[in-house]
Amino acid sequence: MIEVSSITKLYGGRPAVRDVSFSVRKGEVLGFLGPNGAGKTTTMRILTGFVPPTSGSVQVGGLDILEQPIEVKRKIGYLPEHPPLYREMLVRPFLSFVAAIRGVPRRQIRARVDRAIERCGLTSVSGRLIGLLSKGYQQRVGLAQALLHDPEVLILDEPTVGLDPSQIREIRDLIKGFAGEHTVILSTHILAEVTMTCQRVMIINEGRIAAEDTLAGLAARGERTRRVALRLARPPAGVETDLRGIPGVLGVTRDGTDAGAYIVESDGAADPREAIAARAVQGGWGLLELRSLSLSLEEIFIRIVRGESA
Amino acid sequence: MRNTLTIAGREIRTYFTSPLAYVVIGVFLALSGYIFWSSLWRFSELCLQFGANPMYRQQLNVNDMVIRPMFGSMGFIFLMLIPLVTMRLLAEEKKNGTSELLFTCPVTSAEVVLGKYLGGAMLLVVMLGVTLSYPLLIMGSGSSPDLKQALVGYLGVLLMGLSFLGVGLLISSLTENQIVAAVGAFGALLMLWVLSWVADSATVTLATILDRVSLGLWERAGLGLGGATLGDLLNRVSLLEHFQDFRKGVLDSGHVIFYLSFTFFALFLTQRVVESRRWR
Repeated sequence: MIEVSSITKLYGGRPAVRDVSFSVRKGEVLGFLGPNGAGKTTTMRILTGFVPPTSGSVQVGGLDILEQPIEVKRKIGYLPEHPPLYREMLVRPFLSFVAAIRGVPRRQIRARVDRAIERCGLTSVSGRLIGLLSKGYQQRVGLAQALLHDPEVLILDEPTVGLDPSQIREIRDLIKGFAGEHTVILSTHILAEVTMTCQRVMIINEGRIAAEDTLAGLAARGERTRRVALRLARPPAGVETDLRGIPGVLGVTRDGTDAGAYIVESDGAADPREAIAARAVQGGWGLLELRSLSLSLEEIFIRIVRGESA
Repeated sequence: MRNTLTIAGREIRTYFTSPLAYVVIGVFLALSGYIFWSSLWRFSELCLQFGANPMYRQQLNVNDMVIRPMFGSMGFIFLMLIPLVTMRLLAEEKKNGTSELLFTCPVTSAEVVLGKYLGGAMLLVVMLGVTLSYPLLIMGSGSSPDLKQALVGYLGVLLMGLSFLGVGLLISSLTENQIVAAVGAFGALLMLWVLSWVADSATVTLATILDRVSLGLWERAGLGLGGATLGDLLNRVSLLEHFQDFRKGVLDSGHVIFYLSFTFFALFLTQRVVESRRWR
């Protein structure tokens, strides 16, 4: 559906995006993840045809964004980082205006506007002035604006910024509902959002793609070393040395200030849990807890952004 | 075309939902109305004084004494008000980030520029339309102005206003700041307006200037030093000079073409500016 080949964007000689290539299949939900200023917004602006890339090409549905911009823009619904709203307009006339310039046939405008208002939960405010709405409602009007023409591709730049937790959940459910039918690209710097809505994640840092994988694939990157949390009721003196003696164990550290809580780090290939349990029972250490810790997405993200190998 | 009209329609609605349109139209009507009323009053005074005298009666012409100065003053008021009409057109769009909406919609930059321009032009037409009541007032009072001359005058004011709008829109495309857009447009219009003031004393010919610039090569090439003067050129470019014939009620297609092509050129430049700013 979307084919991006080695796009670069320079702003006055300073690269905002460097040689980025990726592709998105139809119906997929792709998450852009990255710290602030990593190039997420610039990449999205290039995809929507708002700014042309300095070099490289973008194809949406087989059409090149520079050669057939009008046709490509027809396929895309876009919610920029700051929702583009005419503050002096009422919600419904604003949506009708956007529907008209997005090329919705005149007769269908009313029905499409009604549907978008309903989908984004705007029914109660449809007759109010946009400038007077709360940030959350403005964000929803921005989202409604992107959905109006039932686009094949939805590009959402930080769609849940400024919303309260229950609104965030509604918007996420809405986005999940698009999967399969629409192709969605969303950017965020909230990691939980990616876990909840996306099938595939792309981590962007300093204008480059730092990692691109499925969620499971990213999680597996953390598995090169395995970590086990251990809690004992009666840890004997020298228990750490004892544990280090188990084959495969690389290190043992105290977990916080709790007496008896340890983190055992081991080679990713070997699972030391069975051996630890056996030893604990043998020595009568009072095994309370033994569980495998997987690296959180957060940790993987930070490792990737810092340039360490995960 | 549909996109252009949709954008123009939104623009007009915005003008009339904000106080801007009412303030601009109100100020325009108050000023032009006062000037119209005072010249009409003076005219009727003169009629009372000299109307009985057949020698003076010939010179008492309502077109010359009331309608012509009215158009002159309208032109001058436009000079000051049109920058306020155009200042927000493209500058506000950029500042609020709504340009990101417009330029990711399937519309071309030419459609956007034209739509914005038509929105402003509609406001201008409304403003002028209300003043059509002035000549009607004169007719109601029993005197008979030459309507054809008045219509030519209106056409002139409209064309001049449209070219002002073009300049204003161009300046608005260059900045995000509405105040800068207004001041810039006012400066540019005033410059184009007063260009002809020095025309009478600028008697140096264009050929002489070219000769100086080319270090004498021009004359050596036998191209001559006569011909049009710098003053002629300034007169041609001045937005005011082309208006004078309309005021007198003389319809000259040359002036019509000047205003139309001037406007077209301003819109063309605006479209180029809008397009080129995306590439930075």
